[in-house]
Amino acid sequence: MKTNKKRALAMLLALVMLFSLALTGCGGETAQKDGEQSSTGKTTLNILMEDVPDTSCVTALLDQFEAETGIKVNVESVNYSSMHEKILTQMLSSTNSYDIIVVDCYWVGEFAAAGWMAPLDSYIEESGFDTSVYIDSMMDMVGQVDGTTYMLPFYNYMLSLVYRTDVWEEQGLEIPDNMEDYVEACKQITANTSGSMAGAVMQGLRPDPIAMEWCNYLFSCGGDFYDENGNNIINNEAGVKALELYVDNMTNSAPAGAAGFGFDEAFNVMAQGNAASYVTYNWMLPRLENTDESSVAGLCDITPMPGGVSLNAGWGWAIPHNAADKDASWKFLQWVESFDVCKARAIAGGSPTRSDVMSDAEVLEACPYLETVKTIMEDSKMIPIMEDAPQLIEVLGRELSEAVAGAKTPQEALDTLAKEMANMK
Amino acid sequence: MKSIHKHSGDSSIRTARRKDFLLFMLPSLIALMLVLAIPLAYSLITSFFDTNLKYQGLGEFRGLQNYIEVLKDTYFTESVLTTLKFTVCVVVLEFVVGLVIALLLNNIYKARNFFFTIIIVPMMITPIAVGLIWRLLLHSDLGIVNYLLSLIGISGKAWLADSSLALGTVMFIDIWQNVPYMVLVILAGLVTLPTEPYEAAAIDGASRTQSFFRLTVPMMMPTFSVVLLLRSITALKTYDLIFVLTRGGPGTTTEVISYHIYQQAFRYLEIGKASAMSYLLLLLIVPIAFLFIRISRSRTT
Repeated sequence: MKTNKKRALAMLLALVMLFSLALTGCGGETAQKDGEQSSTGKTTLNILMEDVPDTSCVTALLDQFEAETGIKVNVESVNYSSMHEKILTQMLSSTNSYDIIVVDCYWVGEFAAAGWMAPLDSYIEESGFDTSVYIDSMMDMVGQVDGTTYMLPFYNYMLSLVYRTDVWEEQGLEIPDNMEDYVEACKQITANTSGSMAGAVMQGLRPDPIAMEWCNYLFSCGGDFYDENGNNIINNEAGVKALELYVDNMTNSAPAGAAGFGFDEAFNVMAQGNAASYVTYNWMLPRLENTDESSVAGLCDITPMPGGVSLNAGWGWAIPHNAADKDASWKFLQWVESFDVCKARAIAGGSPTRSDVMSDAEVLEACPYLETVKTIMEDSKMIPIMEDAPQLIEVLGRELSEAVAGAKTPQEALDTLAKEMANMK
Repeated sequence: MKSIHKHSGDSSIRTARRKDFLLFMLPSLIALMLVLAIPLAYSLITSFFDTNLKYQGLGEFRGLQNYIEVLKDTYFTESVLTTLKFTVCVVVLEFVVGLVIALLLNNIYKARNFFFTIIIVPMMITPIAVGLIWRLLLHSDLGIVNYLLSLIGISGKAWLADSSLALGTVMFIDIWQNVPYMVLVILAGLVTLPTEPYEAAAIDGASRTQSFFRLTVPMMMPTFSVVLLLRSITALKTYDLIFVLTRGGPGTTTEVISYHIYQQAFRYLEIGKASAMSYLLLLLIVPIAFLFIRISRSRTT
């Protein structure tokens, strides 16, 4: 009898252990449900965002949203490189721990094909939200896909040329109107200063930093991924020229380690006053003007790419298809994209997507460079919206890096890319 | 088994005990099944299908097509070679450096714990943090390494951006991080060695080198083989350092198998192909694991 009792006790203990194991496995879900109230909807919203200035502009205003609606917002801001995986795993489970996500423009095709974003049209209609205030190119990129609105454009990160006005003047140089002369000028600056001032700082890290930067060279040299008939033209003469110039600039005017720089490292070189120009995201300019972060405040300006065509890019707000309380999520989207909030974000250094914010007098007074940004945007191009765009960026980054490392000629690298692009959709 | 058949009374007790034993094993067995066997089996299945995370279900059956495509992919075969090169270099160097440090530590008695604590620190840091710290230190323009080199008149290099240096730099950082592991295990082995053979050897007039090669090495052989095999397995799977330091670049000079699999699975979402690659990586690891099990078994018996 005694042994039987012992055995029963042991069994019970084993069951308890097993059960507690199962409980820890579900821990995430139970914790998540804490924020919910059955009658009034979710009182806590979780958002996954990238650790960039535009995110700080939003987090600074969150108390206001909580005061207005009683809904608390947790922003999880992470490094870009881990975002895609984090979103991915949440999309595949039955419930999503994020109520709102931000979507990079080259994920749009993939997310739409997979059905990971909830359509917003009914919410827009019901609440009378006006989407016509957005700049068209933003709405085409991070708003609608094939006529359905999945996102509200959050911020734009169009790239262009940021340069040191004082250095170019000292050197007696002007920003040229074509890429060939620009690369020559950069090389000249590096040579004149025997390397202490790099003509250009560049971001050659695989995959997105190098891919994003080079697209500006590509578009400004007259190249593109596809022509208007959908034919792949990435390895045509203009494309090869663009890559030759890129490699030339990387080898002969950029700092030695630039082939491995991500955008933070390149930014630091610029902010320390060791580079004369930098093809970068337009929101880098307010960072360079910030004396806490930069020793070159007041000496930088943004200008169209030599050759005139920039890479346009941006992020959109979206509600995951498996979000717990989409009404609450929409409430936040409506607030964060309202005119007043967008204006406050822009004045704090955010990069607007609404044309009414971009032409607002107060905003322009605080950020006069937005005038230039707006004109650059008019002639800009974007990475094609396609299902396999993340793969395109990955392969593009690898092949560009191969060319920079000298393992392939520009022609060979782009031929490989063209071959792999044939299998992408 | 024989003894059980002879004494049937005994055997019933034994089977009862075995049942108890099973009962206690069951919870952990179930847990192990859930987290190990099922995912393994599932990924084996997906490796024969055109599975893509974008779409529901397994997708089209492809037979061995995934494996064929993977083996034809020159970037994959290149990454296998890079991984092997990386593994051999770091494991050998880590072993040699670790052995030297362990021998030194074993022969000092003052402040041994002090030195041991300092040496063990890199092992405590997660590889991601190690990568980030070294990225900052090695920044070609603003990093402290090139600055210090410039003070003694050496011009700094682009440690992570130069295609001829990048793999070596990654190896160095890996060695920096993993030598402590070698030291830890080898020192633990050295401490347990009996002292009598050394005393006898000293009386017989053996030199220190002789007693090292004739006594230490043979007695330490089981420890050496275990530590080498375990480290080889983890080195073959290296991923985090590469992800933080180079992303496989410049070009494809530091692209290891695990990074290649990560790209396939989490960038392209092609789980079918990624599973096939993982199973090919498993083919590399399994023989080492079997060798490890055989050696650790022969050691206990």
